[in-house]
Amino acid sequence: MVGAFGVHRLALSLMGALIAGNTQALADDADVLAGRRIAQQGVLAGHVGCAACHLENGAGQPDVGIPRLAGLHLDYLDQQLSYFASGQRQNAVMRPYARMLDARQRQQVAAYYASLAVPRPVEADAPPLPLLEQGQRIVEYGSADADMPSCSQCHGVSGLGVGDFSPALAGQSAAYIAQQLTDWHDGSRRDPKGIFMQAEALRLSHNDIAAVAAYLAALPAPVSPVSVQKDLPR
Amino acid sequence: MKGAVPTVLLATGLIVGGGAAWLATSHHSASRSPVPAEHFMPPPDSAIPKTPFGDEVRRGEHIFREPAIYASAFVGNQLRCSNCHLSAGRLAGASPMWGAYVAYPAYRSKNGHVNSFEERLQGCFRFSMNGKAPKLGDPTLVSLESYAFFLAHGAPTGVDLPGRGFPKLPKPPVAADYQRGAQVYAENCASCHGRDGLGQSSGGRVVFPALWGAQSFNWGAGMGSIKNAAEFIRANMPLGLGGSLSVQQAWDVATYMDSQVRPQDPRFTGDVAATRKKFHNNANSMYGLTVNGGVLGDPAMTPPAGTIPVAASSAAPAPVQSE
Ligand code: HEC
Ligand code: HEC
Ligand code: HEC
Ligand code: HEC
Repeated sequence: MVGAFGVHRLALSLMGALIAGNTQALADDADVLAGRRIAQQGVLAGHVGCAACHLENGAGQPDVGIPRLAGLHLDYLDQQLSYFASGQRQNAVMRPYARMLDARQRQQVAAYYASLAVPRPVEADAPPLPLLEQGQRIVEYGSADADMPSCSQCHGVSGLGVGDFSPALAGQSAAYIAQQLTDWHDGSRRDPKGIFMQAEALRLSHNDIAAVAAYLAALPAPVSPVSVQKDLPR
Repeated sequence: MKGAVPTVLLATGLIVGGGAAWLATSHHSASRSPVPAEHFMPPPDSAIPKTPFGDEVRRGEHIFREPAIYASAFVGNQLRCSNCHLSAGRLAGASPMWGAYVAYPAYRSKNGHVNSFEERLQGCFRFSMNGKAPKLGDPTLVSLESYAFFLAHGAPTGVDLPGRGFPKLPKPPVAADYQRGAQVYAENCASCHGRDGLGQSSGGRVVFPALWGAQSFNWGAGMGSIKNAAEFIRANMPLGLGGSLSVQQAWDVATYMDSQVRPQDPRFTGDVAATRKKFHNNANSMYGLTVNGGVLGDPAMTPPAGTIPVAASSAAPAPVQSE
């Protein structure tokens, strides 16, 4: 009976792999190439490319709160760039860079970063165990007492995100996660879909925010199902 | 009688006074307006004892969260008990198990006799899980009963506790409408449950459950009643934003959801009209009615009832029994 149980699980995970594979297959190689150029050189002379902050491999700079872009969903990246540009998502650093891109270029650079394998995270000091345990509890179970859904109910149990609805959080910069949650907690909406996170973050204390950020940052980041990167001419 | 319960408790000072161990105020209930602010608080998981009884409770919680894994021989879809009984059966206003446990044995018009709690659980497998009822006394039922008993620790029996079931909903201002429901669905539900209602997965696990189709509850399930669905949705959906839809929107979207194709009623007599007459003869069921040119329940377009994966059904006993 253990065997039967195994088959069932396997079928489920195969299905998952197929679904994940499909969503990434949208990016076309020409887009990815053009996107890499934007990431490296930017689109306007005299302005740095995205790589200056997010790095060419999309790892970001976790310690200073610059998010990882590698392996995030193409549509999510594209959407966020348009929100930065329109000012719906307010950020003084990102706004000018997002505004330099037209819709086509946004899609290309999104395709590039979405196609990248998630880089191995830099070793950091492990957060204290009680903080990680508190974070895990909130991520997996939420709180019935506070009527707060768990993070996993919308971001998946392993924090891998769900399609273009919710972004992956596993292995994301703790400082970045904490900043976003604090902004939502303080009432910022960020963008139309931010309504879900606004409601969620209201129920988190500052200590909870530190705990979930530490736990999510420590979760293994998703393994990209397709790595287009290696086939590209330099 | 129902309305009188909280008043009586207030009058005897139980809510604020000493001896109020079983009542507490939920801090954020204001945001889910229909859910009562004062209700019983189940003990935390950390209070599960480290004894053989505690092991049974934990097993029950595992089944409740992942029935397809821990009770695979009885489950025919990809739902979990906790998809509808939120926070694994703890959340007031989402039919919590502490509210249910103390309400049985009880007479049910669905089958016309007094049901034990175990018998009530059997129905969940047959209908909500589109599976097969475990026999009375089956370890799966014993585990689930132990879990519910644990959650109800300290609650009075035979009392319809505030927070049990789903909060009652007034009738809609105008008759519920499928077309308006489709629009409510597109704007408030599709981003998670999908335009096609089939749900979404991440990392190989279902995150947003199917609201209809072969992997959802069947035509005999409680959620197939528009009234139950409207009450559940108004209090609990969109997830995290319960209470945000209007009463009208909740009835409209429930009507839309409960007018879709889903697995056959396991009590199917062989004839759709006869089955409607016998089991669905009320305004809250769309079974047997014509929607978009098809008759709901017509075997030609209806997935079968009780589809246990072959691998799981031949695997007796179920994995949980051998742990
Ligand atoms: C000067 C540094 C800098 C540069 C250059 C830069 N970014 Fe950013 N980026 C940031 C910071 C800081 C944030 C976090 C913003 C916030 O807190 O909301 C961010 C956030 C983002 C996000 C949101 C990620 C998420 O998970 O929601 C995207 C997408 C993004 N940047 C893409 C780009 C692209 C594409 C470029 C190049 C066209 C670029 N960035 C250039 C600093 C930079
Ligand atoms: C009800 C659904 C829901 C729940 C529950 C939820 N999230 Fe989210 N989360 C979202 C959505 C949708 C987005 C995308 C928001 C946007 O586009 O502005 C998001 C975005 C985020 C982001 C921004 C990521 C980025 O790359 O910019 C963080 C951080 C986050 N969520 C953390 C959490 C944590 C921590 C929890 C649990 C305490 C949680 N979420 C629970 C739906 C949810
Ligand atoms: C599709 C949603 C759904 C799923 C999945 C589901 N239930 Fe339910 N359950 C309901 C609804 C709706 C009711 C109320 C039914 C009614 O009043 O007729 C209910 C009622 C109950 C009750 C009685 C509650 C009371 O207060 O009398 C129990 C006990 C119960 N379910 C247990 C379970 C268990 C155990 C599972 C998993 C094996 C499960 N349910 C799966 C929707 C669901
Ligand atoms: C933010 C994502 C999200 C949105 C938006 C959302 N739901 Fe849900 N819904 C969920 C999740 C997650 C569950 C399962 C809860 C759990 O397992 O804890 C669920 C469960 C359900 C269930 C019970 C399980 C089932 O499959 O039958 C119904 C019914 C339901 N939702 C209906 C709706 C309706 C109707 C809307 C729109 C008004 C809606 N939902 C909007 C995430 C969402």
